[in-house]
This record gives sequence, C-alpha cells and structure tokens, in this order.
Amino acid sequence: MNLGQLAWRNIKGNAFRSWVVFLCAMVVAGFSLSAVMIIRGAEDSLRLALNRLGADIIVVPEGAETKVETALLMGKPVKVWMPQENLDKIARIPGVAVASPQLYLSSLSNASCCSVSEMFMVAFDPKTDFTIEPWLKQKLGHELRLGESVGGSNVFTPEGEENIKLYGYFITLKGNLTSTGTGLDQTMFLTFETAQDVARISKTRAERPLEIPANSISAALVKVQPGSDPRSVALDIMQKVPGVTPIESPNMFQTFRQQIMGLLRGMLLILSITLVLSLVLISLIFSMAANERRRELGVLRALGATRGFVFQSILAEAVMLAVDGGAVGIALACLATFLFRDLLVRSLGIPFLLPSLPSLVTLIGGGLVLALSGVTLAALIPAFKISRQDPALAMRE
Amino acid sequence: MFKIAAAIIVVLALVIGILPQFTDCQSQGRALALQNGKTVPMKCHWTAIAEIGMAVPLVGVGTVMGVSKRKESCRIIAGLGALLGIFVILFPTRLIGVCASADMLCNSVMKPTLILSGIVIIAISIATLIISERQPEQFA
Amino acid sequence: MIALRNVTKTYQVSKEIAVMAVRGVSLNVERGEFVIVTGRSGSGKTTVLNLAAGLVKPTSGEVCLGDVNLWSLADREQSLLRNRKIGFVFQFPSLLPSLTVLENVALPTIFGTNHRGQDPYERAAELLDMVGLSDKLSAYPRQLSAGQQQRVVIARALIGPPEVLLADEPTSNLDEQTEHEIMDLFRDIHTQTGVTVVLVTHTSQLVSYGTRAIEMASGVIVNHQI
Repeated sequence: MNLGQLAWRNIKGNAFRSWVVFLCAMVVAGFSLSAVMIIRGAEDSLRLALNRLGADIIVVPEGAETKVETALLMGKPVKVWMPQENLDKIARIPGVAVASPQLYLSSLSNASCCSVSEMFMVAFDPKTDFTIEPWLKQKLGHELRLGESVGGSNVFTPEGEENIKLYGYFITLKGNLTSTGTGLDQTMFLTFETAQDVARISKTRAERPLEIPANSISAALVKVQPGSDPRSVALDIMQKVPGVTPIESPNMFQTFRQQIMGLLRGMLLILSITLVLSLVLISLIFSMAANERRRELGVLRALGATRGFVFQSILAEAVMLAVDGGAVGIALACLATFLFRDLLVRSLGIPFLLPSLPSLVTLIGGGLVLALSGVTLAALIPAFKISRQDPALAMRE
Repeated sequence: MFKIAAAIIVVLALVIGILPQFTDCQSQGRALALQNGKTVPMKCHWTAIAEIGMAVPLVGVGTVMGVSKRKESCRIIAGLGALLGIFVILFPTRLIGVCASADMLCNSVMKPTLILSGIVIIAISIATLIISERQPEQFA
Repeated sequence: MIALRNVTKTYQVSKEIAVMAVRGVSLNVERGEFVIVTGRSGSGKTTVLNLAAGLVKPTSGEVCLGDVNLWSLADREQSLLRNRKIGFVFQFPSLLPSLTVLENVALPTIFGTNHRGQDPYERAAELLDMVGLSDKLSAYPRQLSAGQQQRVVIARALIGPPEVLLADEPTSNLDEQTEHEIMDLFRDIHTQTGVTVVLVTHTSQLVSYGTRAIEMASGVIVNHQI
C-alpha cells in the first residue's frame, strides 16, 4: 500500500465529506470553464464575423447601427434603406478603394411560399463585392449564377427537397461558408440580380411580395486604400454624405462588446463568490476531518509516519477529490456548452463559437489547475496544523 | 454509492419523460400542415412520446439499483440502464429526430437535454457495472 | 535498551496552570526484560511510555533508545527509528477503519520498516496466524470484537520486528477473561521472540506476567519489584 492508496481508502471511508469536496471542485471547475468558453467563444465569434465582413468601414443609414449589428451578429433580419446615390458619393471620397452595396432582405414568417421562416438574406453586387466573391472564386471556381446562393454554415436545403423556396422562387444552395458563430451562419447570400428576380416572381407566387425599394441600398461596405487612415475616411463620409453613419471595423458590434463585458463581469463575480464559498467550505471540511481523525493521525505518527507523510496524506486526499471532481465538472461543462450552444446564443443574446481543439485543451487544463489549486489551498492549513501536532497529545481523548 | 447513482437515474428519467412534453413543437402550438388542410404533429412530438417509453423503465432501473443487494442484479440493471441511455440519445438524433431549425425549442432545449441525460445515464450505468464487479456476491 | 535519565515532563494546561506529569524519573530497561508499570490514573505511567517512544518531548532530561538520544534526531530519523525499533499497542481502538485487518497489520511497512525483504502482507498474515486470527485477514475492524482488535494491534506492533514493544493499558477495555488471554499472548511473544516489553496497566494483579514491576505515583517511581 502507498500514500495514494491510503488516501483513497480514507476518501471512501468518509463518503459524505468526500462528496461535498468533490461537488465543490466540480462546480468550481465546471463553472469557470463554462464562463471562459462562453466569453472566449463570443470574442472569437466577433472576430470571425469582422473578418468575414472584410470591410474597413460599413456605412448604414443614420440610426440603424444597432439594428444592422444585430442582423449581422444574431441573424435577425432587418429592413433598412438609404438612397443608392450615397454609394457614388462614398466611392468618390478620397481614401476609399472600393465601396460595395448590400441589400438586407428577409424571407416571410410561417408562409407556405418560403421554406425557411424569417431568414436573413443579404444581396450583394458581384462587380464590387470583396467579401463573398473571394470565397466563391476559391470554392466554386465561378461567380453565382441567377437563382444560386451561398449560405452561412447553418443554412441548408430542407429535407427531401432540392432547393430552398423563397417567395415561391426556387433557389439553389451552392455551398456553405465556414462557421462564425454569429447570425452570418444563418444568412443567405445572393446576387442583386437574383434578389430582383425573386422580387419579380414573388408578385404572383408569394403570399406577400418581396419589396425592394427602387434606387435603394441597405448598406455599403467600404475598403480603404492602403496607407489611408480609416478614421479620417469615416469622418469624411460622415461630413460629405448626409443621413448615414459610418462604422469603423474596430468599433463594430460595440453593443455586443459591452454586453459581453457585462456578462464577463457578472460571470467573474459569480465565479469569485463560488470560489470563495467553496474554499471556505472545503477548508472547514478538512479542518473537521483532521480534528476527527486526530487520534488516527497520532497513531500513524506513533507507527513511524513523519510529519511530512501526515501532511502529504491529507493533501493527497484533497488532490484526488479535486482532480476527480474537476474532471467531472469540466466534462459536464464541455458537454453542456456544446449541446446547449444554440440556447446560450438566444438567451444571452451574444454570438458564440466553440473553441478549437488546442484552445479547448488549454482551457480544460486551466480549469483543472483552478480546481486543484483551490482545493489544495483550502486543505493546506488544516493539513499543516495536524501534521505539526504532538502525537501523544493528538491521541488523547 | 449505488443509492446516489439510483437517485440520479430516477431524476433523469423524470426529466426525460416530462421535459419533452413541454418543449416539443406541439406544446408550442406548432404542427405540420398537410396539403389537404389537416395538421399532423412534427417529428419532435413523436420523439417526446418515444422518450416516455424510455423514461418509465429507467425509473424502474433506478429503483431496483437503489434497493438491490446482489451483484448479479446490479450487473443486469446497469446493463439495462446503459442500453436505455443509448436509446434516449438515439431517438432525438437518429431514430426519429427533431425539427432542423436551431430556432425551435425542440432543437435548442429538448434535444440537448435528452442527449446530456442519456450520456450521464450511460456513464453512471457503466460506473455501477465496474464498481459492482468488485463487490462480493451479496453486499450491504 | 531504553534509558530515561532524570526526565521531567510538564504540561502547560493554561497560562497560569502547569501540570508536572513526570518528575525527575530515571529508568533503565534492559534488553529482554518484561517490565510492568503500574499506578493509578494520573500517576504519569502513560507519559513515561510516551516519553520512551519519543511521542512527547521531555521538558528536561534525556530519553535514549540504545545509544541514541531520541531528541537529538530530526523528525525524519526519529520517525524511522520508531518505525523500525518500537512497536506500540494502544489503549484505545487504533486500527484504521477503512483498511482490512491484513492491511492494518502491514500498515507500518509503508513508512519504511525493514521487514528483511519479505512481502509485508505475507509477514502480516504470519503474525495474524500467531495471534490466532488467520481467518480474519479480509475482515474490517468493525467486524471484530474488542479482544480480536487488540490482537490485531499486537500483530501490527510486531511487524518490524521491533526491539521494544510498548503497550499502554492494552487490556483496560476488555473483560477479565479476554484480559488474561491478551496478557498470555504478551508473555508468549516475550518468551518466543525475546522482545523487550514495557507494559503499562492500572491493574496490579497483572504484575506477575512481567520480569520486573515498577509502581508510579504523582509522577515519580515509588516502588521497584523484581
């Protein structure tokens, strides 16, 4: 028998106490991992969404910033319009390399003419677009033809059908973009030409027609020239193009960033409280256990155990419970976060992307270290005190 | 240890049987409209019904696990628990399924809850099987 | 073998109150002796035993095991010495409840006892056979009677094998018949192995089991009998 086996026997011999420490370790590790995964997931998602948009500046109608951000991040369709002539004004501003227009549309809700309810649709101009086109060239080898579209990672053709029906128009899904964890994953991308065709057909085939106001666009994506300062260009746009708001890429999704920060603060607060309470509880439990086993530990000393052995045997129990509880907590946290990610996104109102495997391994390691160090720290003082006690005094009633 | 495992299984069995009744599309007032005008329940509703069929024997599994004192009984019950757990997962994923859209409650709540419950039941059953192997034929 | 030289032990009960449990006691126990130490409750006999085992530090004086002053050693060396040379039988139930009888007897070996290369569990089984409990190897302490538990403790104390066996009122919780059985066991062990035994008891009738008897009162030795 060795120290580990002895510690395991003691754990089994004090089931209730062991379960409490196990549960504390489980909750601390699980909750901290979940919190970090959610916050990291939200940040990664925002970053990917910005990369996907690819724009230095996105110009939207004045007052529509939050709506557009919500549409892009959460996939909630939005209808905003500004005059098409704004595009020319923006393109003429010094420092602007490309200005590409987009139309924001939506499928109908619970209508038989649309096989997907309230899906966010983004129509782009293939001649000027710089976000979807590069992907198309790489993956499909050609531009989208009339009646074709690409979708975010969660867009798919309904089971048993060959096309997606929108407003009575059959659209062929040619491919799916990689996941961003944002509303862009539930978005369909189609050309201006196809959008106009859908609008035309919808007049006769849809429950309600798709309305695209003439000479209007929803937003303009702007790429600045190399060496130009996006800030100055944005200010220029604001001054020279009335009725619009230019949003620089780093400032995009500010509402959500604040929401994420708020969530982070809330989670850190709860985590700190949980951690402190757990440490106090574990410390109390080990103190109680050390006191109750005072005589037994005195006997071990009488049999030849050193102070170090007694100290290590109590810590070994703490470590075992921390590792086991931490591992279970982490496994449950990973499972729950993976399985309930859609619910998380909807209820928290933030985007979310699952971490990559290397990231996940690092996070898991961090969670285990937290559980281990917390429980070990809590058991340290009781273990030290009891190991220093006079064996003869310890064995007295 | 077995009593705790049994209690967890019974609680999860209740979740498996009851939760889908309130999270399938039928309970949200949604149904499939056929061309002849009739409405039929969506497949998540049938999954919910099937899960009742798993929940009831799982309550039995948990109860027997809690009171059993024989190694052989524990082994059989644990095996049965694991098998039922597998079906709890298969019904919403492969055998019947739920609605495809991530918007639907059956997809965002019902399915992940059933999968998680199934995994936990399988894990507990396997752990019970392993631990009972180390016990004597008749244990306290 | 064991030498206490003018040893005093004072316990500080509170800031104002100090209790002198042992006062200037000098005691030599030679190799192979079976010394019975008697005295009433509070006479200091248990403290003398604890001092001899190095379980409590004397306030003044020396405690030697062989040539070695126990308190000149660091904790590690002292623990190893205690593990290898001293077997201890306690007054209270001292078996670890989460270990089987066999594991309890083998327990001291995990602290470094030199059991001469033999498998500790084999040695433990032999000792349990010697004390008449070979059928209880996989039982847990709660499944044994008080007398049986004490036999296991004696077997554990012999695992070293020790040079000295110290027993602190080993029969105080036992009925008269079991008490004599245990004392017979001590005598048999002493005769068969030649181990030095120091046994503390408040029952003066048991002095006939030993080769020498010492009586203590109020922390001092008041009577020597051979």
